[in-house]
Amino acid sequence: MELQQNLPQLNTQKLGLAAISYDSEAILKHFAGRKNITYPLLSDPDSRTIRAYGILNEGVPANTPKALENRFLRGGEWYGVPVPGTFMLDPQGIVVAKYFEDDYRERYTASEILVRQLAADSGLPRTVSETKHLTVSTFASLTNVKWGQRIALVADVDLKPRMHVYAPGVEGYIAIDFSVSESPAIKIHPATFPASKKLRLKAINETVPVYQGKFRIARDVNIGTDPQVKPQLNEKGELIIHGTLRYQACDDRVCYVPQNVPLSWTLNYEALDMQRVPKELQR
Amino acid sequence: MKITLGSLSLLLAAFLLQAQPGPPIGAKVPDFALVDQNGQTRNLMSLMGTKGLMLVFFRSADW
Repeated sequence: MELQQNLPQLNTQKLGLAAISYDSEAILKHFAGRKNITYPLLSDPDSRTIRAYGILNEGVPANTPKALENRFLRGGEWYGVPVPGTFMLDPQGIVVAKYFEDDYRERYTASEILVRQLAADSGLPRTVSETKHLTVSTFASLTNVKWGQRIALVADVDLKPRMHVYAPGVEGYIAIDFSVSESPAIKIHPATFPASKKLRLKAINETVPVYQGKFRIARDVNIGTDPQVKPQLNEKGELIIHGTLRYQACDDRVCYVPQNVPLSWTLNYEALDMQRVPKELQR
Repeated sequence: MKITLGSLSLLLAAFLLQAQPGPPIGAKVPDFALVDQNGQTRNLMSLMGTKGLMLVFFRSADW
């Protein structure tokens, strides 16, 4: 599972990790062995904990005669699964953040949550572009992606000394913008910007919202379904996402011509793992 | 009351936040005693890191 890849990062952040499902201990043992999973997978076979958290998936049919006839529903055996999602808890067990998708086919990934929650660095390869005013270093929170996963495309900007760029909401200047090119393969979420600083421009007696030094802009995307993604892959099976960082930089004397920096992220698209446990272990 | 697009989208955002299932932000989650893949019984305290816990609910390991 994708979570295993994030374990070192979670350890660094001194966060525990556990994952709960309605699977039997035997299924979890088999799955953990096959996938080399070392963090705790917890078995909630009667969905008691799932119910206690109020996240039983009510949209799944119970074991009714009708469901039993339906091959697609696997005879109602899905009943008891949770609405998939993640709680971030503080050491006292208080919810500090939670991540649940509206669409059951879409899933938050741990890496995206870490980027958002902790300004984490995925440790994955970065692409660095440099202009006269700044360097921008980009990475994706996850590079091996599957159907429905929500990942973060990250741009870490480092402005050169004395430079500033304008933050969203500025009037009369070009605010920095981080756009991602539309593609049938992805659903693009709005960019998230850090809080800006107020800068007083003495010469014109104005106070404007700006960024200086280092800051991070992130933009989440959901990976689409097989039929949406497959036609967009290149011959190596990669999905290339393009984007642009647009900004106008100024120093204490002059404002420079607005710039568009092309950005790209290369993702490897993987098929869903449909392998099941041996028949005798199945629910 | 004049309803602007801005206030409508705020309402919608509030509704969507409400629609997130399970214990809300700021609430304490229920404890549990569940067996892990190695047969060990675990509760919240035994899983907790010094800074907290990422607790994931997933559909199934077998689908």
